[in-house]
Amino acid sequence: MDPIESMKAMGELWSRGARSFAEAQANLFGALQTAAGPAPAPDFEAARAAQAAYAKAWTDAQAVAAGFSAQLGAKPGQDPVAAEVLAKVFDPRGWLSASSEVDAALSRLAEGPQFADLFQVERKFAGLTTAWTALRRRNLEHNTLMLEAWTRATGAFSKAVNAKAEAGQPLESARALMALWIETANDVLVETQRSEAFLKSQRESLKAATDLRLAQQDLGEYYSQMFGYPTRAELDDLHKTVTELRRELRALKRAKGATRQKEATP
Amino acid sequence: MSRPTITPADAVAEVSALGRRIAEGAKLFGEIRDADVQIATTPKDLVWSQDKVSLYRYRPLAESKGLPPVLIVYGLIGRYTMADLQEDRSLVRNLLNLGLDLYVVDWGNPSRAERFVTIDDYVDGYLAECVSFIQDQAGRERVNLLGICEGGVFTTCYAALYPADVNAMVLTITPIDFHADQVENRPGHGFINLWMRSLSPEDIDRLIESQGSLPGAFMGSVFSMMTPMRTLTKYNLDLLDALADKKKFLNFLRMEKWIADRPDHPGEAAKQWLKDLYQDNKLVENRFELSGRTVKLSDITCPVLNVFAKDDHIIPPATSRALGPKIGTQDYTELGLPGGHVGVFVGGKAQALLGSGIADWLSARG
Repeated sequence: MDPIESMKAMGELWSRGARSFAEAQANLFGALQTAAGPAPAPDFEAARAAQAAYAKAWTDAQAVAAGFSAQLGAKPGQDPVAAEVLAKVFDPRGWLSASSEVDAALSRLAEGPQFADLFQVERKFAGLTTAWTALRRRNLEHNTLMLEAWTRATGAFSKAVNAKAEAGQPLESARALMALWIETANDVLVETQRSEAFLKSQRESLKAATDLRLAQQDLGEYYSQMFGYPTRAELDDLHKTVTELRRELRALKRAKGATRQKEATP
Repeated sequence: MSRPTITPADAVAEVSALGRRIAEGAKLFGEIRDADVQIATTPKDLVWSQDKVSLYRYRPLAESKGLPPVLIVYGLIGRYTMADLQEDRSLVRNLLNLGLDLYVVDWGNPSRAERFVTIDDYVDGYLAECVSFIQDQAGRERVNLLGICEGGVFTTCYAALYPADVNAMVLTITPIDFHADQVENRPGHGFINLWMRSLSPEDIDRLIESQGSLPGAFMGSVFSMMTPMRTLTKYNLDLLDALADKKKFLNFLRMEKWIADRPDHPGEAAKQWLKDLYQDNKLVENRFELSGRTVKLSDITCPVLNVFAKDDHIIPPATSRALGPKIGTQDYTELGLPGGHVGVFVGGKAQALLGSGIADWLSARG
């Protein structure tokens, strides 16, 4: 394989790794999408505030990343491909890789007004839209927090590189540079995860995802009833009954076995 | 910022080496077949089943030591296959090679249909049935229990509720004091403990209500979050490293296979796991109730071997070691092994120590 292509491939691989991390985060909440019954009106104001905060964090992160990459590469004599890869590594889009989630979310947002036009289930759809808006807001707040953490990680990395240089221990390979970045960023991210702000944001996102999921199920329940399909609640009832019957059966079998054993003992 | 001293010549050399590795890796990818990455291949026979639960007995690989049979009990997060990942990294094989009679319980793949199954059902129902079957088949009054992680909590409860059935108990990477992550408070360690305490009981109830279970994919995401940069580098840098060595690459794929096989945790049992244990810490405080009975750790009178991983970020050592002062036996041994949560079972040094450590300890208590 052409060495230049190899380096580019590594950049792509890095981006995929970043996406997988973002997907892990998205799964966490995406797997749990939710919502609640007769909900208050969507808090668009809070969502707009979250959006503004996120945009600011995004701009800051991009500025830091751009300056950082410029310092690392694109100097006379420097390998341009290595510079490109490093630029990718420090590209905030890779840190969050939330673009596809954002796109999907925006598409779903566009469906909101159509839902609300349906008179029969207006309240359920309104609840769904409210829950979706709340989830969007919480996700933006959480992404803002994470962007700030990544920006801090970049700063810490810069300091670490300088400290090594000043101590007469310059980094002698791209791999060593990468290892230092991984170690430094990991420390910052782990510290972030233990912060009150992160835990609160995580909890709010989880709650919002759960609320949305429940709102979706509420709607599904309505249509299942309308068309005569078994509802989730009915199935849950059935499963509960089966579990209880199995429990009783096990207890009866055990009692019977114990009685037999007792009778067999001289 | 000062610039790293990477010369263009160094960069080209690194890039060339990388190119070679990617090319070799692509070739290796093409050659690997699913049969090359099978896990849990040690021969075993299904001897009992009920609902989705199956009990297997492993075929012997060495002359029997004549000890009471050992029942391996994994938890509901992940699968028992971790104990038999591959031929040269298998606790199961190590124990069989040392002459033990080995059983394993497989909880199956619970679905939303198992939403209402509780830890009471697992301990007082399925586990009790497995023990009873083994007692009958082996013609012995007592069996040895080997619990892993959440499975260790199940065996701990069983040993407390049915002390007459248990000859000896081995616990591996098992949490007992769910708040003891605060003892060392190491960064990056015990995040699940911290996170669970940050949630309210109602958050957990609604999560389970909405999902019907604690989804395996959800727990997978939580584990990924605990090692953020490892997650980021796993499928690029780490994979590239693994590609340099076929054996290492196959190990990587087998581990991936195990990670991907993460069943959903039944809902009601998950509520007990997260609320009663992670949040309220009832087990170590002797307040955990199963089937109307309180689990008292002091009722555990059998010998106990407590194995923990010194660098376990999921179950910090102090959460396991809290058991020692609480149980009703003086025959209590701790074995701290190098490595992390999974490394104890698959790490080269640790897994060898684990097998022989358990076999030697059990042999002395036959």
